[in-house]
Amino acid sequence: MISFQQVGKTYADGTVAVAATDLTADSGRITVLVGPSGSGKTTLLRMVNRMIDPTSGSILIDGVDIRSKPAPELRRGIGYVIQNAGLFPHRTVLANVMTVPRLLGWSKDRARERAMELLATVGLAEEHAKRYPFQLSGGQQQRVGVARALAADPPVLLMDEPFSAVDPVVRKDLQTELLRIQSELEKTILFVTHDIDEAILLGDKVAVLNTGGVLEQFDTPTELLASPKNAFVEGFLGADRGVRRLSFFPSETVPLRTDPIVTLDTTPAEVLARKSEQPWLLVVDAGRRPLGWLPEQRVPADGDLQKVPAGDLVSYGHTFAVDRDTLRAALDSAVLSPSSRAVGVDPEGRVVGVATVEDLVPVIRAAQNGSTPENGR
Amino acid sequence: MNLFPHIPSYLGTYGSLIQQQLTMALLSVLFGLIAAVPLALLCVRYPKIYPPIVAVLTVVYSLPSIALFVLLVPSTGLTQTTVIIPLTLYSLAALVPNIVEGVRGIPEDVRLAAVAMGYTGARRLVAVDLPLAVPPIMAGLRIATVGNVSMVSVGTVIGVGAFGALFTVAAQLSRSDLAITGVIVIVLLALACDLLLVVTQRLLTPWNKRRPR
Amino acid sequence: MNVLTDAWGWLTTSANWHGSDGIPTRFVEHFEYSVEAVLIGALIAFPLGLLTGHTKRGGLVVTSLANVARALPTLGLVVLLVVVMGVKFRAVMIPLVALTVPPILLNTYEGVRNVDPQLTDAAKGMGLRPWQVLWRAEVPAALPLILTGFQFAAVNAVANTAIAAYSSFGGLGRFIIDGLATTEYGEVAGGAVLIVIAAILNLLFFILLRRIFISPGLQPKKLAG
Repeated sequence: MISFQQVGKTYADGTVAVAATDLTADSGRITVLVGPSGSGKTTLLRMVNRMIDPTSGSILIDGVDIRSKPAPELRRGIGYVIQNAGLFPHRTVLANVMTVPRLLGWSKDRARERAMELLATVGLAEEHAKRYPFQLSGGQQQRVGVARALAADPPVLLMDEPFSAVDPVVRKDLQTELLRIQSELEKTILFVTHDIDEAILLGDKVAVLNTGGVLEQFDTPTELLASPKNAFVEGFLGADRGVRRLSFFPSETVPLRTDPIVTLDTTPAEVLARKSEQPWLLVVDAGRRPLGWLPEQRVPADGDLQKVPAGDLVSYGHTFAVDRDTLRAALDSAVLSPSSRAVGVDPEGRVVGVATVEDLVPVIRAAQNGSTPENGR
Repeated sequence: MNLFPHIPSYLGTYGSLIQQQLTMALLSVLFGLIAAVPLALLCVRYPKIYPPIVAVLTVVYSLPSIALFVLLVPSTGLTQTTVIIPLTLYSLAALVPNIVEGVRGIPEDVRLAAVAMGYTGARRLVAVDLPLAVPPIMAGLRIATVGNVSMVSVGTVIGVGAFGALFTVAAQLSRSDLAITGVIVIVLLALACDLLLVVTQRLLTPWNKRRPR
Repeated sequence: MNVLTDAWGWLTTSANWHGSDGIPTRFVEHFEYSVEAVLIGALIAFPLGLLTGHTKRGGLVVTSLANVARALPTLGLVVLLVVVMGVKFRAVMIPLVALTVPPILLNTYEGVRNVDPQLTDAAKGMGLRPWQVLWRAEVPAALPLILTGFQFAAVNAVANTAIAAYSSFGGLGRFIIDGLATTEYGEVAGGAVLIVIAAILNLLFFILLRRIFISPGLQPKKLAG
């Protein structure tokens, strides 16, 4: 646990970088500091490993004041990951990861063994170990950066905008990887970003900071999205916070209809009967995988689906996995579909049922009316 | 044409002349490097002293060797020391800015990472700062070495020119063959030293994506 | 024996300030040779530097040439050419020019080549023709480095003109060579002091040039020649 107690930083010229701040980052959890530039988020982070000294207040890690031991010693016990990874260009990937263990006096063999293990943990192949940083992609470098920070198995990890410099696709990968690694290692992570989406995705708790280092709100992502404390937080969360909040609710409560679902083998009589009740029929194959939507006016007069040309089927957009995806995915699936209907599937991709936008409304309202979400991400 | 024509016996052998030429040139570079590293590190540590030191070094670098040689003669005599002192100063002038820029040029994130991992002053210098400054340091060493190998020959004006003695004899006896030999051998010696430094740098910096040439 | 006293004694002897081998004459000679060497060097090297830098081609040739030039012993070249051609102006000017070309070429090349591509793109985008891009965007941005090249060339010229005196040639080096021949140490030291003064004046001149020509918006960069 990292506790900031009335921590402040005022520069000699009077500029306040961080106003007296109280904050607690729980053990084994990811705490995200998010805010615009000039909000002191990086300053707060760097105070933890004493790269910057606060001008007031104190910081405790598991109840021990960080000033109780020399800075270099403290730092060797805290992992640190920065934007461009900051790998040593003159050392191989392996030697980079071995850095802190070697500083701590581990034997070469033990440090090497540990480094190889970590490279596997962060998803790098063995052959990367002997390469130099310039021979890696940005995403790979960042993975090495994470491995290097974890090398001496520090309980605390500081991450300063670690994924800001890579492209969105790679960033998504790295974020997923981080969550996977964290679910295994349960480090106390303090994570700085200016990207509110990243904060909401990664944070167990999120601290929203304003210019001048003012802590505006410190809450779980759902609380933050549900009830921003003030206009600044609301503005920072963006106009679509309501929709985004839906990603914290499971889609399993969505009522699914099965009557619009037909297969190519469904009898013409049955098809015609369904058509009279449904403006859209979802055609699925023998394995119940969706083929496309069929609008009622294109249903053949005799109800024989075998006659339907493939081109008459309308794309179903994307499906949502009933057991895994969130309400946001379900809503998105409905909104993006030309039929305004979401297609729910099981883990094998077989259609479970469909829901109209109207069907989703009561579920969404229930979620907004506040019960705590059952499932984080 | 014979590259090594007969030379007057008082000059010694070609081998001994080459040896003297390289000794004076390389000792100067070595002394220059030994003096430049601490001076450059001071400049990195105290940035305020850097501009005046650069100014002084620029002046030193612009002083013609022939003038410095003759001004030193009363103090150090007609010796190799008299040649080595100015050449050491030139090497220093070529090396200090390169080392300073090299250490300063270390990317900010690498420096941050080193501090955050708990590197302390001297250890960081040896493990991170200096290795990363190797390419610019080597660039400075190459300039100093090539220049020095060639400039030693000016020492013949005060009688300690090693290979430059060939030029004195060439002028006195109007022997162009000796002058040609002198020029070619000195250029080849300088370029051979340069090549050695390039090879050394490649071996020292396998991590560098920009290869020296 | 004190160097400075000797030099002072010689410098304050009024006889040394007159005639065809007096200090003013030699000073002017030294100045003339140096300026000519730099100007001829610039005529050759500056256009070549602009061309190679603008087209970003020929870098290897330029850098190798600079390296070989650094290895050339001036004294040897002067002696060789004087032995072959006799004591002629050309015999001395060729080695002097050979050593003013490389720094101008190298620094002009590096300066123009490394101009921020955003600047040249913006210039092209505004509809400037290639030579206008070169003249209005690349050269002004590269000017600090180009001036550094000229400065190194001038430093070489002043130093090598002094060495050129070794082969019965004029300039301030004459005093050193003549003084050594006649074991007049006062003349040797006085000549050396004058050469040092000439070198420093040269540097002052370049400081002035920088003040006048370099936009304060451009940070001077250093590159060895």
